[in-house]
Amino acid sequence: MTDSDQHPYVEWIAREAQRPVVTDPAARERIMLAVRAEPMPQRRSRVWQRVFEPRALRLSPIASTLLAAGLVGIGVITGKVVNNRDVRPPVGEPKVHAEVPQLPVSDTVVKFVFVAPEASKVSVVGDFNGWNATTTPMVRTANDSVWTVTLPLTAGRHVYSFVVDGSSWNADPHAPLAPDDGFGRPNSVRIVGRGSAL
Amino acid sequence: MNDDAADVQRVLAGDVDAYAALVDRYYDRCARFAVRMLGNRDDAEDALQVTFVRAYRALDRYQERDRFSAWLYRILVNQCRSIAARRAHREKVFVREEALLLNAPDRSTSWTGEDEEFVQRVLNELDPLLREAFLLKYIEEMSYEEMSTLTGVGVSALKMRVKRACDRLRERWERIKHD
Repeated sequence: MTDSDQHPYVEWIAREAQRPVVTDPAARERIMLAVRAEPMPQRRSRVWQRVFEPRALRLSPIASTLLAAGLVGIGVITGKVVNNRDVRPPVGEPKVHAEVPQLPVSDTVVKFVFVAPEASKVSVVGDFNGWNATTTPMVRTANDSVWTVTLPLTAGRHVYSFVVDGSSWNADPHAPLAPDDGFGRPNSVRIVGRGSAL
Repeated sequence: MNDDAADVQRVLAGDVDAYAALVDRYYDRCARFAVRMLGNRDDAEDALQVTFVRAYRALDRYQERDRFSAWLYRILVNQCRSIAARRAHREKVFVREEALLLNAPDRSTSWTGEDEEFVQRVLNELDPLLREAFLLKYIEEMSYEEMSTLTGVGVSALKMRVKRACDRLRERWERIKHD
């Protein structure tokens, strides 16, 4: 512990907790048995690597000015289109939005966020979509570990969970847990509306 | 290319046994975090098993520019959160067996009446989010920036969680002192 003003009791707890733990020596073998039963992970093709890997882009001053002007133009046109459309929330089944940071998040529009760097797909399920794991997929953000989706919900109490790779149910670590649903699945609770903007 | 990146490349080239080297390299450190976070060996070993298997499945998405340990830890922290959430409604019983998970302490540094089992119980009393932040900061000795990358939580929020964890521990000490 580096904080010089830390309490000696806290330092003692940290020091004790730093001691290594003794685990079952066979545990590593069990991991490797499970790994060998898995299909081989495939190396990404060079094409995909080129698409996803970041790279430095060198532009001349003129090219960068033209690019900036073009981006501003696209922003203006997009802004007009967005401002002219009917933004009333749909009636009935909630519609899924990809993350749109400029979308005003009101007290009935909720942004769900879940950290799952290893997941291939994540969806949110809840009373608002019939607990269907295919209805509301979440979108992986640029940093590759955070999944989000923004939903218009009716005001009131909603119970929900995150489904990773179609089978693993996970409660929201940042929300209160719902009472046990009898299925042994972890659910969370979110109150929407009545001034509870998130 | 460091050892981790070389092992990952070997696995992706078809050498599954190269993954054992990664497991060996990180198992102990991950085990310490999982046991301290979850408070018992069974849950910790479940978390470790799932973490290493999921990391293997996702190995093609691992980017060499990232540290393998940080990438693995992200998976582990998330898995510990999931397991902790799943059992949140179960009564948590601290069993004597857990004392065996801790090495023999240096008694000269122990305070009267305290023991290894006690330390784990104290950690278990912390709110899971506070415990997670405290462990990452003071047991895994990560920077706040590393913690933020790993958990997806902002630096200021993490600092607040660590401070609150330390406050809870200090308050606990004050109660003990006055009992």
